[in-house]
Amino acid sequence: MAGEVRAGERRKRRGDDPERSFQWITPKGRKASLYEDVTVGTQPSVYTFLASGYTCSFPDGRGTWWDDSTGVDVVDWTVFRDPNELWERPYYQQGAQCEKEIENATRSARSEGLYADVDPAWVEFLRRDGQVQAFVEHGIWSIATRRSRAALADTLTHGIVLYAAVKQRQAQAFVIEGMDLDEDLGDFQIEAAKARWTGEPAWQDARRVVERLGTITDWGELIVVTGLVIEPLLGSLVRRELLLRGALRAADPLTPTIVRGAQRENAWWNDFALAFAQFGTEDEQHAAANRSLIASWLADWEPEALAAVDALEPIFAGAPGVDFAAARARVVADQQALVAAAGLVAADPVAAA
Amino acid sequence: MATQQTRRRSVTKTHERIAQLGWDRDYHQPVPIYDTRYVFPDKAKDPMKQVMREYLPMQLEKDERVYGGFDAALRAGMPTKADERWLQVMKPLILILVYAEGAAGRCMSVVMDVVPNDELLNGYHVQFVDEVRHIGMQMGLARWYTKHTPDPAGWHNGQEYMADNLITRAGINMFSHSFVGDPIAAGFTMMTVIETAFTNVAFVALPDVATRNGDFIQATTYSSVQSDEARHISNGYATMLTVLQKEENIPLIQHDLQQAWWIVHAWVDPFIGTTMEYFSTDRSDNESYLVKWDRWIRDDWYRSYVEQLGKMGVTIPPDMFDRARERLVAGLHHKTAPLAFATWPLNFWKFDPLTETDFEWFEDKYPGWYDEYGATWEAYAALADPEEGALLLGGFMEGAPPFCWTCMLACVIDDDMCHRTCADRHGEDRTRFYCSPECRWLDETNPGRYTGDRNYFDKYHGMSLSEVILKQKLLRPDGKTLVGQPHLNPDRMWTIDDIRAADFTILSPNITSAAAMGLPSGSWHDEGDPFGAVQADGNGFQPVTLYGGGAGHDGGGRGQSGLDDLAKAAVGDTPWVKL
Repeated sequence: MAGEVRAGERRKRRGDDPERSFQWITPKGRKASLYEDVTVGTQPSVYTFLASGYTCSFPDGRGTWWDDSTGVDVVDWTVFRDPNELWERPYYQQGAQCEKEIENATRSARSEGLYADVDPAWVEFLRRDGQVQAFVEHGIWSIATRRSRAALADTLTHGIVLYAAVKQRQAQAFVIEGMDLDEDLGDFQIEAAKARWTGEPAWQDARRVVERLGTITDWGELIVVTGLVIEPLLGSLVRRELLLRGALRAADPLTPTIVRGAQRENAWWNDFALAFAQFGTEDEQHAAANRSLIASWLADWEPEALAAVDALEPIFAGAPGVDFAAARARVVADQQALVAAAGLVAADPVAAA
Repeated sequence: MATQQTRRRSVTKTHERIAQLGWDRDYHQPVPIYDTRYVFPDKAKDPMKQVMREYLPMQLEKDERVYGGFDAALRAGMPTKADERWLQVMKPLILILVYAEGAAGRCMSVVMDVVPNDELLNGYHVQFVDEVRHIGMQMGLARWYTKHTPDPAGWHNGQEYMADNLITRAGINMFSHSFVGDPIAAGFTMMTVIETAFTNVAFVALPDVATRNGDFIQATTYSSVQSDEARHISNGYATMLTVLQKEENIPLIQHDLQQAWWIVHAWVDPFIGTTMEYFSTDRSDNESYLVKWDRWIRDDWYRSYVEQLGKMGVTIPPDMFDRARERLVAGLHHKTAPLAFATWPLNFWKFDPLTETDFEWFEDKYPGWYDEYGATWEAYAALADPEEGALLLGGFMEGAPPFCWTCMLACVIDDDMCHRTCADRHGEDRTRFYCSPECRWLDETNPGRYTGDRNYFDKYHGMSLSEVILKQKLLRPDGKTLVGQPHLNPDRMWTIDDIRAADFTILSPNITSAAAMGLPSGSWHDEGDPFGAVQADGNGFQPVTLYGGGAGHDGGGRGQSGLDDLAKAAVGDTPWVKL
C-alpha cells in the first residue's frame, strides 16, 4: 500500500496526473513538449472549441477566421507542428545570440585591426552591393507580417510571425553593418544601396519577384513560396554564395557572422515550409488536391525566382572570389532536394534560364 | 586583453537608416485582404524607433526575469501560500488574456495590411512579436499554476472550457473586435482603448491585488507584459495622429472610438471588477474598483487623452464615457457577480462564498451594498453545501435578465435594457435583447458583425443542468465530481449525482423574457445550423452602411468616398441617441 501511495505521488510529480497537464493538446510525441503547451490551443476556431460559431465576423461574411484564407485544405490544422518548435523564448535567445555575435565580431574587427586585411576589391563590392540584400529581407518581412493573422492554427500563425521577425532582424543587421563600416571605412550609405535596389538592372528581377510577394493573399502560398522557392534560390544565392563565401575569401571579419546567423534562421524556415508542404501533400483526405495546388505555386514562382538568380550574374562578377555558375548550381541543387523532400518536383532550371 | 571598443550607436541615426528600407513599388502593388474606410496622408511618424539590436537582448533579459521568477516562486512555496480563492479565478483570467494577446498581435497584422506608411510598420510589427512573447509567458504561467497550485482542475482543459464558457466567450467576442472588421477601427479598439485605457487596470492594478493575495508570480509576469504596453500605446497614438491628418477621417474616428470604448467597457468592467473584488481574500486594499477606474480610466485616459483629442479636431461627446461610469456606480459588476457565482456548475473554477469580512469591505467601499446584495450572498453561502440539495441558479433563472446580443453579458441594469426584433435567415422574426442602448447601437450600425449562436442558454433551453454539464465535459477525472464548485472545501464537493438530485432544468432567460413580454421568440438557436441562425447569411450585410455608400473603391482596397458618405458611415443608419 505504501508503495502504491508513493508511486501515486511520483506520478503526480511527473505530471501524469491528468489534472496537472493540458488535456486539450494531442501531443506529437508521447508527451506534450513545452512548445506545445504554450502554443497549441491559443487560437480557438469553430473546429476547436468555439462550439457556437464565430461571434465576431467581417461585414462580407468572413468569420473571425475563414477556411479559404488558403487554398490548402487539411483535415485538422491544429495537428501542424513546427519541427524545430520555435516559440518566444528560444526566438529571443537565438535572435539575441545572433546580434551578440555580430556585436562581438564588430568589436573584434576594430580592436584587432582586422579591417586592414580585407581585400580592397571586396570592400568596394560591399560599398556597392553589401546592403542591398536588406531590401530583399525587408520586402519579405512586409508581406509575412501581414499574412500571419489569417493562418488557421496557432502553430502556423506563430511560425509566420517569427519568420517575419527573423527577416526584420536580418534586414536591420545588414543595414547596421553598413553603418558600422561607414564609420570604419567610409562611404557605406544606405541611400546608395537603395538606389542600387531600385535602379541597377541586375537587381531588378529580384526586386520584381520580391514586390510580387506583396500580392500574395493566401498565407499557405506565402509559406511555400518563401520557404521552398525564394529563400533557397534567391536568399541562399545572395547570403551564402555571394556574401558568405566571398567574405571568407576576402578576409572580411564581419559579414560571415551576419550571414551565418541568417542562414541558421533560414534553415529553420526551410524546415517549417517543408513540414507545411508535407502536411498538405500527406493529408489523409486532401493530399492530391494539395499536391496539385502546391505544385502549381512552385511552377508559378520558380521561373521568376530563377530569372532573379540569373540576373544577378553581373553582381557576382563585381565581387572577388565568387563563382556564379558554381553558386547557381549549388542553390538549384539544394532547392531541388528541398522540393523533392516534399514529394514534389522543382522546375527545370535550364528551361527556366 | 585587447581593448574592446564599445562605441554606442545612436538609436536615432540607426533608425534613420533602417527607415530607408521602404521603397515605392514599381512592378507590383501590395494587395490587401482587409478593407478600411480611412484614408492616409503621405507622412507618418514612428514613435518607437525600435531596432532589433537593442530590442532582442532587452526582451531576453525581461524573459529571464519572468521565467526565473517561476522557479523562485516554487522555491518560496508560493503554490501553498497564495490565497486559493484568488488562484481559482486565475483560470479564466489568464486564459482569456492569452486570447487578448493573440488578438492584439493579429490586430497589428490587419493594421499593417492597410496602413501604407512605412514609418509605422516597424512599430506595429515589433508589437506583434511582443504579443507572441506575452502568449508564451502567460501560457507558461498557466502551465506553472497547473503543475503546482493546490487544485488544478479546470486548468487541465482550460482552453476548451474557456472558448465556450458563459463569461469568457463574451471576452472572446470583445477581443475579436480588435482584429475583425475595419483594421483602423480594430486598431482603435486594441491600441487606443484596451491598451491605453485598460491595461493599467488589468496589468498594474490587478497584479497589485494578486500580490496582496500572496500571488507574486502573476504580478511578476504581468508587470513584464505591461513594460511592453507603453510602446503599444505609442503605436495607437501614432496611428491616431496619422489618420487625424486627413479631415475626412474625423467623423470615422469619432464614431469608431465611441464604439470601441463601449464594447470594451461592456465586458472588461464587469469581468475585471468582479475578478478584483469578489475573488480577493485580502481586504487591505483601500481602493475599490471604482476608485482605481477613476484613477486609471477617467483621469489618466479620458481626461488626459480623449479630451485632449479635441484640440486636434476630434470631438468625442462625453456621453458614452459618463454612461459607462454611471453604470459602474449603479452596480454593473455588483449585479453581474451574483449571476456569475450562481452559474458555478457551468464554470471551470471554484467560487468561494463571501464572508463577513468581505461584507464589511464592500459596505465600506460601496455604502448600501449590503442592503442591496447581502441577502443574495448569504443565500449563496447557505446553498454551497451539496447536503442542501438546492442551487441558487434555480431561484435566479426564473427572474434572470436576458443576455445582451452585442456584449453577450447579462442585461443587469433594468432601466438600460432594450430590445428589437429582426428577421432570421428563414425570414422569421426573433427578438434581440441589449444591455443598453449603446450595445443596440453597435449591433444596428454594424450589420454582419455579430454572428454565431450568441445567446448562451438558448441551445440548452429545456435541458437538464446535469446534461449540459456532461455535454461541456465539466467533470473531473474521477468522472463524477464537478470541476466548478461553489466553495473551496475539498471535502464537500458537488458531484453530478448531487446535480441530478437537485433536478434543475435550464431555461434561457432570452426565451422566457421574450415570451413574458409578448415578443417574437428570443431564441436565436437554429437546430439546423450548429453555429446559430445568424451565421453564414451575413445577417443582412449592407455594405452601404459600413463603407460610406460603398462608392468609389479604387480596387486596391482603400475607400475613396466623399465627405458626405463618410459622415453618413460614421453614424450609420441609426444615429446615436443621446440619453
